[in-house]
Amino acid sequence: MASNNADMVSLLESKFGDKIQIQKDVLGTAAIIANNGIHYDVFKAMIEADEKTGITAITGLDFGANLGVYYHVHTTNQFFTIKAVVPTVDPKIKTIVDIHPGALFHELEVTDLFGIVFQGNEFDGHFVLSENWPDGVYPLRKNVDPTKVKLVPTPEREFNKPAEGREVKIIIGPQHPALLEPEKFSVTVDGETVTKVEPRIGYVHRGIEKTTESRTYLQDTYLVERVCGICNACHSYGFVETVERIFNADVPERAQYLRVISLELNRLHSHLLTLGHACLEIGYETLFQYFWRDREPIMDLVELTTGNRVYGSLMTIGGVRRDLNPEHVPKIKAVLNDFKTEKMPFFRKMYQDEPTLRLRMKDVGTLSREDALKLSVVGPVARGSNVDMDIRKIQPYAAYGEIPFNQIVYTDGDTWARMNVRLDEVEESINIIDYVIDHLPSGPIKIDLPRSVPEGEAIACIEAPRGELFYYVKSNGTDMPDRVKIRTPTFANIPSFLKTAIGESIADVPSNFVSLDPCFSCTDR
Amino acid sequence: MADAKTWARVKSPWVLHFNSGACNGCDIEIVALLTPKYDVERFGIKLEPSPRHADILLVTGAVTNQCAERLKRVYDQMPQPKFVVAIGACACSGGVFAGTYNTLGGVDKVIPVSAYIPGCPPRPEAIIDGCVKLLNAINPPKKKKRKQVNGIKEATKSEVVPVVMEVKQDGKQ
Ligand code: SF4
Repeated sequence: MASNNADMVSLLESKFGDKIQIQKDVLGTAAIIANNGIHYDVFKAMIEADEKTGITAITGLDFGANLGVYYHVHTTNQFFTIKAVVPTVDPKIKTIVDIHPGALFHELEVTDLFGIVFQGNEFDGHFVLSENWPDGVYPLRKNVDPTKVKLVPTPEREFNKPAEGREVKIIIGPQHPALLEPEKFSVTVDGETVTKVEPRIGYVHRGIEKTTESRTYLQDTYLVERVCGICNACHSYGFVETVERIFNADVPERAQYLRVISLELNRLHSHLLTLGHACLEIGYETLFQYFWRDREPIMDLVELTTGNRVYGSLMTIGGVRRDLNPEHVPKIKAVLNDFKTEKMPFFRKMYQDEPTLRLRMKDVGTLSREDALKLSVVGPVARGSNVDMDIRKIQPYAAYGEIPFNQIVYTDGDTWARMNVRLDEVEESINIIDYVIDHLPSGPIKIDLPRSVPEGEAIACIEAPRGELFYYVKSNGTDMPDRVKIRTPTFANIPSFLKTAIGESIADVPSNFVSLDPCFSCTDR
Repeated sequence: MADAKTWARVKSPWVLHFNSGACNGCDIEIVALLTPKYDVERFGIKLEPSPRHADILLVTGAVTNQCAERLKRVYDQMPQPKFVVAIGACACSGGVFAGTYNTLGGVDKVIPVSAYIPGCPPRPEAIIDGCVKLLNAINPPKKKKRKQVNGIKEATKSEVVPVVMEVKQDGKQ
């Protein structure tokens, strides 16, 4: 198994020779330039060499006469980018869905936004764009001004037609009591058993990726923060980290530690929210209220450290905007300690032993390790299925390399396991914050960087509460980015739900679904 | 009878939450309202899953193209009289997403809005305040018997005039 850098690169070099070009230390460990067709073989070779190889994201790019398709690939402990180009007129490229089903959504998105056809995975209609968006207009291409596009009347799509024969189609959403956000799922059932699930995402698609191109880097920090109201610190961090990598900036150590506090508080409140929400979905409202009650002190800490309950806007390019007030340290420690010693044992007892929870969550939505790898799932969903991938461990960012913590992995792969991963991570997060506060280095919290970013491109992967969050930024030397690609964790995790829901009872759909911790404002951007 | 209806509506408004393309920040704050710390049920406010039963529609988020139609439909399904509260900068005017290609910017582009609560996201206290203000506007509290919170009796018309004059005199001195 090629688990280290030299192995994989030399393996590809020996196998493909001069059919590919390898740029070392570009966009991950190496960027591999491969023509249409060869990219398929390269990816196949990588999967064969390392079972953990999966697709992180597929980025579409507009170079004028050509369109770029970048496959961002992760292996056990590395990131690679396979670069392919296709002509802008009649862009076609071979699909990789047949060797890696996890690439399905990524390809559909690129087709919808860039008009690149993946041969073998063609579709018509829209994936993230709205139904009344005209066909043949691709908003992310440079020559399109999407704000001037004329919308067309909504056409009738296959999606809404009733099922035939014994089967019944149940449409969930976009306005539905169990969904906080608008998104549509059409669930086909035969009796009580689910036979098919089709999602229709895009209800919250605001076009953030395109909008970043017409705002400055500083404005974008706040814009991308608003991709998601829950894991907002992760988004702004992901963006500033990527930009700092283009600069090759040396961010002060104190800033990195302060960032960890913010990121971990983010994870804490996000996990508590989900742990509660899962109880609500199975009809256990009391426990939901308990979780949310005990989440409030954490929100107060977020407010204490960043100045705002939800949008702290702590991260900025070059460091953080606010230092930790030493007077607040005892309060932070007290709240966290109280949570760990008083609240945690109760929640743990509930999630481990409470028969209602076990009945509704055990053996529901089981995702095997093989499927988890094939579908490239991330975060607690992967770790619940015995795949140890925590980006904080694989490729430490910020100050994570210097902080001791455990990676939580469960082997069961069911809803119960996924929720317990989160519960255990709550405790880990508390320990991390504790450690960081005790070991906070002194020094400045920010360095000044110029407003215009030098030409270049970079990627960053970080572990958001819902899993691996991916950012790609390409700059063109001005103060506005040329392209920003965001791949959010829920986008990678939804395919697993489409698989695990099949064959189970319709009553298990909500608890199975919420165990992915879905966040649609992330998914659609 | 009309009085009784207004009374019931104000004492126990049923609200429906619709996300028309929000980032989740506002939505989570709305859920936080229902949980023990803020507990809006003490005002009789109850979250209602169906538009057919709701009196007040809470809308969050800049309206996306895909949601606009649906938002209109949800509004049409609500019985009269109905009120719409736009929560968050996005719902008020498009907020940070103003000018993005897939949003219309502001709920009032699609349906009439009765109250705007700005903020990104507004604090739960601000949402409570906005809702209470709306309820007071629907059924203005009877002035005569009402006392102000700090214990000072509310000024009647005849009392107001001297106060204003006093201020003027102070200014001259
Ligand atoms: S106002 Fe702010 S928190 Fe609310 S939906 Fe808009 S961006 Fe999100």
